[in-house]
Amino acid sequence: MNSIIPYLIVGAIVFVLGIFTIVYKKNAVGILMGVELVLNSVNINFIAFAKFVDTGIHGQIISIFVIILAAAEAAIALAIILNIYRMKATVDVTQLNKMKH
Amino acid sequence: MGLLSLVTFIPVFGALIVLLIPRQNEKAVKIVSAVITFIPFVLATYMWGQFNYTMSGINNEAQFQFVQHFKWIPAYNIEYFIGVDGLSFPMVWLTTLLSFLAIIASWNINKAVKGYFALFLLLETGMLGVFVSLDFFLFYIFWEVMLLPMYFLIGIWGGPRREYAAIKFFLYTLLGSVLMLIVMLALYFNVKDPVTGGHTFNMLLMMDQSNHSGWLLGVDVRLWLYILLFIGFAIKVPIFPFHTWLPDAHVEAPTAISVILAGILLKMGTYGLFRLSYPIFPDVAVKTAYMLAVLGVINILYGAFVAMAQKDLKKMVAYSSVSHMGFVLLGMSTFTDAGMNGALFQMFSHGMITAMLFLLVGVIYDRAHHREIDGFGGLAVKMPIFAGVATLAFFAALGLPGMTGFIAEVMVFIGTFSVYRTLTILAVLGIIVTASYILWTVQRVFLGKLNPKYENISEISGRELFTLVPLGILVILFGIYPIPILNLFRASMTHLINLIP
Amino acid sequence: MTASEILKMMPLIIVLATPLITMLIIALHRNHLTTMIVSVIGLVLAIIAIPYSKALDLTKIGELLIIDNYALFYFLLIFTATIAIIIPSYPYLEMRFKGNREEYYLLILTATLGSSVLAASTHFVSFFLGLEILSVSLYALISYLRQTNEGIEAGLKYLILAAVSSAFLVFGMALIYSQTGKMEFNALMQFFSNSSKLNLISIVGLVLMIVGFGFKLAVVPFHTWSPDVYEGAPAPVSAFIASVSKGGILALLFRFFSQYDVLNSKPLFLIFALLAVFSMFGGNFLALLQTNVKRLLAYSSIAHFGYILVAFLAGNNAQNFKGVEAATFYIVSYFITIIGAFIVVGIFSTREREAMSVSDYRGLYWRHPWLSVAFSAMLFSLAGIPLTAGFIGKYYVLASGIDNQLWTLVIILIVNSALGVYYYLRIVVEMFSQPEEAAETKHPSPSVGVMTGLILAVLTIALIWLGVYPTGVIGAIKISVMGL
Repeated sequence: MNSIIPYLIVGAIVFVLGIFTIVYKKNAVGILMGVELVLNSVNINFIAFAKFVDTGIHGQIISIFVIILAAAEAAIALAIILNIYRMKATVDVTQLNKMKH
Repeated sequence: MGLLSLVTFIPVFGALIVLLIPRQNEKAVKIVSAVITFIPFVLATYMWGQFNYTMSGINNEAQFQFVQHFKWIPAYNIEYFIGVDGLSFPMVWLTTLLSFLAIIASWNINKAVKGYFALFLLLETGMLGVFVSLDFFLFYIFWEVMLLPMYFLIGIWGGPRREYAAIKFFLYTLLGSVLMLIVMLALYFNVKDPVTGGHTFNMLLMMDQSNHSGWLLGVDVRLWLYILLFIGFAIKVPIFPFHTWLPDAHVEAPTAISVILAGILLKMGTYGLFRLSYPIFPDVAVKTAYMLAVLGVINILYGAFVAMAQKDLKKMVAYSSVSHMGFVLLGMSTFTDAGMNGALFQMFSHGMITAMLFLLVGVIYDRAHHREIDGFGGLAVKMPIFAGVATLAFFAALGLPGMTGFIAEVMVFIGTFSVYRTLTILAVLGIIVTASYILWTVQRVFLGKLNPKYENISEISGRELFTLVPLGILVILFGIYPIPILNLFRASMTHLINLIP
Repeated sequence: MTASEILKMMPLIIVLATPLITMLIIALHRNHLTTMIVSVIGLVLAIIAIPYSKALDLTKIGELLIIDNYALFYFLLIFTATIAIIIPSYPYLEMRFKGNREEYYLLILTATLGSSVLAASTHFVSFFLGLEILSVSLYALISYLRQTNEGIEAGLKYLILAAVSSAFLVFGMALIYSQTGKMEFNALMQFFSNSSKLNLISIVGLVLMIVGFGFKLAVVPFHTWSPDVYEGAPAPVSAFIASVSKGGILALLFRFFSQYDVLNSKPLFLIFALLAVFSMFGGNFLALLQTNVKRLLAYSSIAHFGYILVAFLAGNNAQNFKGVEAATFYIVSYFITIIGAFIVVGIFSTREREAMSVSDYRGLYWRHPWLSVAFSAMLFSLAGIPLTAGFIGKYYVLASGIDNQLWTLVIILIVNSALGVYYYLRIVVEMFSQPEEAAETKHPSPSVGVMTGLILAVLTIALIWLGVYPTGVIGAIKISVMGL
């Protein structure tokens, strides 16, 4: 494939799905998955741009960092979610309302 | 270090010393504070001896005395620039005197003593700083430095509604400061130092109209800035619609703080008008002079009538301050020799008289624990000395000949009569009202049948007398022979009048 | 990498090595006090390395980092702030946390590393790395007191929102990269300065990046996480978020736009101006309604970053950096005050809860005069009362705004400062009002440790010193922003 368009379309679809998941999911793990989707759409974009726009490999490098970050973030997030589950026996974010405005 | 800096900053160093004294040793705190406030008074008196009566100051650095001038924050051309002229020096001297007496009057403070005296000393530096600064930024800093100790002194050591009174005082004054800040910044960015070409906070350079940039020369802009600055000072004076913080603050403040508040802080409003508003915006000042005179008369009449209606002795004295400050406004709105000098003399004289009145109220409150005018009666029988001093102070307040109040008011009337005839007549009416409420008060408190509740009331103590007598002597002395004070003003006032187109 | 480059990077390397060494020490001998002392020593060594690093001539380290005076200035600020946060953390953790306390210091140190990388970064990659080192450490730090409901909740909230904002940020980076093919800030800004190339996609990219910045700085409308997180996080961590974390991001923001004339770029100016105005009003109005000190500080922090944005807007006009200078000074003063304020909040916490309600401070003066004086000084500085660092900072910001004729923003700023005074003063009033006798026993009566007291005293003195004689610091800031 020698056109950038298909990559962008896939990237955009994944991005929108990710945002959609973040906004609509009540389950903390679901939200986390939404975040992962957005990050992956970013990866697709970066790699596509690296191929078509840049002559170097900056895009590929940053996408590796994004993957590492996603892993680190998931690890910490799951630890926090586990703690919440232990304390409240639920991972529904709408139940997290101990603090009022 | 220059003499003037010494006078200004000795109190704040004293505050540090006071903080280092162990908490239990309250006596030492009081004695150290008294000694520390006495030193600036001695120095200021010495400066009076050195004072050159022919040097006018106002907008000419060479004509200022005891000047200290060097860079402070070069990034913004902020300078440490202090000096005195005939306008500020009497106020400096009065401040050092009243601060010393107020410390003596604070002897019976027994709650958090260290904090009280340290804050008081900080307050004194703030007040002196306002009077000596010749750099607008420095002036503003000192102005605000005054605000915080005052807030705490009322808010912690005050009467039952102290928190309300303190916050009201703070918010009003803060509003004034914000307005002043706007004017200060506007001036800073539109005034150029002719030597360096940079912006400047130097008040004297701001007074030179040729340093103003085009933006600031527009009449509308100048009018607006003048009004903003005026409101800033009017809150402090206080001028009629902005006066409502004053009775609350006075009623709740401890005696010594009322003395400082009425004796010095109120004068800062009119001092600011003299020092900043007039010389920086002389054209606008002339245009709005009639309004100022009207406000002055409103102050006189409104203050007098409201004072008459008061049941609380301290509130009565507070409103009488509003009334007396009206004379200052009236006098300064005339731009005549007599009017301006009279206004300044009224500032000086009222500082002493009102200080006496608040001290007297404090004396009586310490004994009776209330201030209801109608709750006393016949006190002269049991407290003859107190009644004598009090009558002297009250008569001084109503402007009896032979005392400073009379000289000041007569000068103001001479100045105004040729300019605003109707207003002068109205103001004279104010004198009559003043006389009636003061005589009525004296009658209700001291004369008549002794209220049996006060069968055992004790006579004024030596310490209390010590705070009152010097002021009483000065009021009479300068009332009979006002020349030393008037000589202080003369050169500066003549210069200021010449500045006004 | 040459030897001199390594020397140049020494402060960063030391800060990187400290958590590693600490980790080894924990593995060998788990002891709270030792861990704290080792972390402080590491940070002190890093500070000592700064002048040596400054003496070296080169600045650019590869493509990713630049260690110029500006970066070193922020290093100094960040490291000092971290020390001031770490030391009071020790008694705080001793009192409030029963589990393993040592890892807290590892996380703080890594977060500090992230923040300093931000201050030195010139490239999307280092930017992203620094940001994530910082954020990931913060997720864990916020929920460190895992036995408390609030801590865990705050941690998850911050995690979700920060992750989303990072996602936006990298997506924005990707869009910009698609248009320019570059990731280095200067190259990007040269590209954008040619306004014909500023097409829709790059603007969308910049806007997405600004959303990311906005989240981290907690400016309205991206502020919703901040009160909850400030409230739920342990007090020292709240201090860290408010100071070091936001400071690093601001440092990067200034560097990112340093070659770009924001003032004369319509869309960007409008976006930042709106953010500033919303933050000032939103932060102050919401703070007015608060009775919880930590939430109040959170909202006021929103407002303060609004003020800083005003200075930032004034900063880029024709390479006249007065504004960035002002903002940097403001940050310095804000660091001092907010850390001091949160230390006081931390001191007042008990095993069960933190002293968050304004009424917890009622009559504080009569029980702890010195503590209440220090806290009042902090609050006065936040309110911008003269003779405190906060006043000079605010004045500096105002002056830079007026210098660039941003009249609307300046007037809004003045109005907001006046609003601000009111709610800070409310706390001060509480502290100095007389306590009712019955309530006396209910209040926590803390003991202040020697080191914590010392830190608080130093902060208070610094606050007043900067308010009275700011020339030295202004000079240092001037030098540091010169090369930007």
